[in-house]
Amino acid sequence: MTSGSSWTDLARSAARREVESSDEMRRELLVLWLDGDPYALPVERVREIVRMRAITSIPRVPAAVRGVISLRGEIVQVIDLRRRLGLRGEETGARRARIVVLNGDDGQLTGLLVDRVSEVLRVDEDSLRPPASRDAETVAALAAYGERFVSLFDVDRLLELDA
Amino acid sequence: MSEVEEILDRMRADLADLSDQRARGALEPELANRLFRSAHSLKGLAGMFGFEGMSGLAHRLEDILDGLRMGRLAPDAPALDLLEPSVVLVAGLLERAGSARAQEEAGTEIAALIERIEGALQAPDGAGPPGAGEIDEALLRALTEYEEHRLRDSLRQGRWIHLIEASFEILSFEEGLAELTRAAREVGEVISTLPAPGEVPEAQIRFSLLVATDRDSPALQHHLDHPTAVVRCVHRGAQASAASAQRAEGERSSQGRAAAQQPTPPSRPGQRDHLDHPASGAEGAARSEAKPSEVNRRVPAQQEHDPAAIDDDAAGEAPREIGPELDSLKSISETVRVDIRKLDELMNLVGELVVQRGAIGAIAAQLLADPASARLGRELVKVHKMLDRKLQELQAGVLEVRMVPLRQVFEKLSRVVRRLRRDSGKDARLEIRGGDTELDKLIVEELADPLMHIVRNAFDHALETPAERVAAGKAPEGTIRLEALQRGNHVVIQVADDGRGIDLEAVRARAVARGLIDADAVLTRKEVLDLIFAPGLSTASEVSETSGRGVGMDVVRENVTALGGLVYVDSSAGAGTTISLTLPITLAIIQALTVGVADQRFAIPLTSVLETLLVDPASIQRSEGREFLNLRGEPLALRRLHAEFGLPAPPPEARVAVVVIGLGDARAGLLVDRLEGQQDAVIKPIQGPVRTVAGIAGATELGDLGTVLVLDVASLVEDVARRREAA
Repeated sequence: MTSGSSWTDLARSAARREVESSDEMRRELLVLWLDGDPYALPVERVREIVRMRAITSIPRVPAAVRGVISLRGEIVQVIDLRRRLGLRGEETGARRARIVVLNGDDGQLTGLLVDRVSEVLRVDEDSLRPPASRDAETVAALAAYGERFVSLFDVDRLLELDA
Repeated sequence: MSEVEEILDRMRADLADLSDQRARGALEPELANRLFRSAHSLKGLAGMFGFEGMSGLAHRLEDILDGLRMGRLAPDAPALDLLEPSVVLVAGLLERAGSARAQEEAGTEIAALIERIEGALQAPDGAGPPGAGEIDEALLRALTEYEEHRLRDSLRQGRWIHLIEASFEILSFEEGLAELTRAAREVGEVISTLPAPGEVPEAQIRFSLLVATDRDSPALQHHLDHPTAVVRCVHRGAQASAASAQRAEGERSSQGRAAAQQPTPPSRPGQRDHLDHPASGAEGAARSEAKPSEVNRRVPAQQEHDPAAIDDDAAGEAPREIGPELDSLKSISETVRVDIRKLDELMNLVGELVVQRGAIGAIAAQLLADPASARLGRELVKVHKMLDRKLQELQAGVLEVRMVPLRQVFEKLSRVVRRLRRDSGKDARLEIRGGDTELDKLIVEELADPLMHIVRNAFDHALETPAERVAAGKAPEGTIRLEALQRGNHVVIQVADDGRGIDLEAVRARAVARGLIDADAVLTRKEVLDLIFAPGLSTASEVSETSGRGVGMDVVRENVTALGGLVYVDSSAGAGTTISLTLPITLAIIQALTVGVADQRFAIPLTSVLETLLVDPASIQRSEGREFLNLRGEPLALRRLHAEFGLPAPPPEARVAVVVIGLGDARAGLLVDRLEGQQDAVIKPIQGPVRTVAGIAGATELGDLGTVLVLDVASLVEDVARRREAA
């Protein structure tokens, strides 16, 4: 299914190892926005970013699953991150909305619907701070982002949908 | 090593045929050739991977099989009995390839077997002397060992042996010779084609064909009807020639039959030594020097499209040291191993083409609608139709490539049963029917484990010991029947045993003990039987002892359902149990009916759609709140798709659309808002964190309709069936 991505995965993990073995532990984060706040995903989990497109809804699934899209012949579920985080505000769907497609550990793809994507942020591993709230569910850490912090997702927990 | 396994599988199948043919006393020449080729490939592969023992054993197998195909070994030679144990040993060796100790143990076994084979081969064999007294010594010397064997065989059968001599223009002799050979083959076997000695006119070349037939010389001459061909009788046949002369009159009518009667020409003549040492065939080298032009002859001959011409070519041409090499290359190139994923990619491409075709159809319709462009539109419609037909052929072609017979799996199962029989002391016969039934390769692969499980269970738990069977008035030997048959676009595989049957009370008690059902639950017989597939019930070993069904039936159901299939069980106490699997023929591309529910669209595989109905809502009846329909005297359970999927209900209408779906014996009616149309669909799995969506099998892209969900007919039908049972 994802034969094209395997070598990029390899290259990425090799690059990551190199970075990790160097003195400075640097992380690359993709910054995205939800309801006016910045969040981040580890770049190595991101396969691609696509524009908002028609989403076919599917029955009998948790509300956070908006539906499926077709990505070059592959059918991929799309998680609406606003719904997933229980954020209010109008539905994502504006012109700048993007679907961030993640690589799963098992080769399965997942799309994340976000308000917009802004940049790739490079941070030192030791500049990461624990989440502000102790009962944070999907945020693994906070990373310095200019004057403010960006919330770095724990991707595996983000994709755990039991509701 | 999968290639080695494949070779071993083929050899096992061929050896089974061989033992049948030996019992009947009629050996098909091609069978020995095929076995020989397999042994040869095995030797090569074993050598390549450094399995010395295996390679040595394969070499001895080659010796035996070469003896057989060359007629040095009679069909009843004891050496042939050593073939099967050798193949079994090699297979065992392969299974234990990881263990050094096992390899060592096997080493001594192999050495012992090799010794036995060598002993058996040294014993005087059954083949008599050539018995070709009348045949010219010089001619005999020119024949290869294989040709000599074919000659001897023909003599034994009392056929006439003729030498046809003919001259050809040197520039065009390929066609002329091929034509003459073809004509000769219509009435007999061309044993050898040799360059003819003697004076020839300038720019001419002479050949002689050694032919075995049941016709005399005049009849053959008449049949050939060739300007330069001269038929000379070498050996008179046993049969009266009057008949054949008469037959020569009604030539046309008898040709087909005569051709059909001929033995299949061996696809690879020549000697093993030449294969091993291509350059060492002294005879061959001498010949190719004598006739250098013949080396090139094969090339044009192979390009001919007439299969007969190619057969002729392989049946015995002169360049010996080239021939076997070329032919062995040919036998390799006849089959191609293809990664199934590549076929999937092809299938996806075909699917995308189908979508494009739809777009062209839409453009054509637009053009037709406008009078200014109607003429162009009509032409586009024509092109579209043609494209449609070719695409269908392409689809069918790709699908066909994916199809493999179930035989491979069935043969594996029969080996399992043989092993079980040996290990357990229970007597059981495996009856196999319908091994030719074809299924998508992926499905066949996925089926191997569930079927293995079912067969093992039948053997271990369902079949009684011989003593128990006799006490119950049955034959001491149990029977497991494995049967496959095609029903429309589905294949049904049944595993039936004549064992003790499932003890319903024991299953029920167990299910209560496990908390799967309430102690006072009222269950139908079928529902109780269905419990054996429930997770948590069948894992208990006590149940397997008492209920006659063993472990892991839940896994079986899971696997089969994942393939879009259904599992049923039927059993009667004391008489046996039948487990039926119903599977789609292919997973790749399907015809789908699209239906609309609220603002959504769903696709239903057409193979599971029995009919569509428009019914008056007033005709829908209720029982315990569940809706059903009287369909020609039978109740049909209904499901409202919008309710199932939490979509808004449609406004009331005078007629509602019902899609009747069915799989195996189960039926259900789906109430939908709209019936839309029929489409080709490539079903894709849905990726993402939600692993299974109840009622949805996957999704498909349908051109301008976008991504459409495909209903999981098996789960929808089964839910209904279960509710009905529970009701």
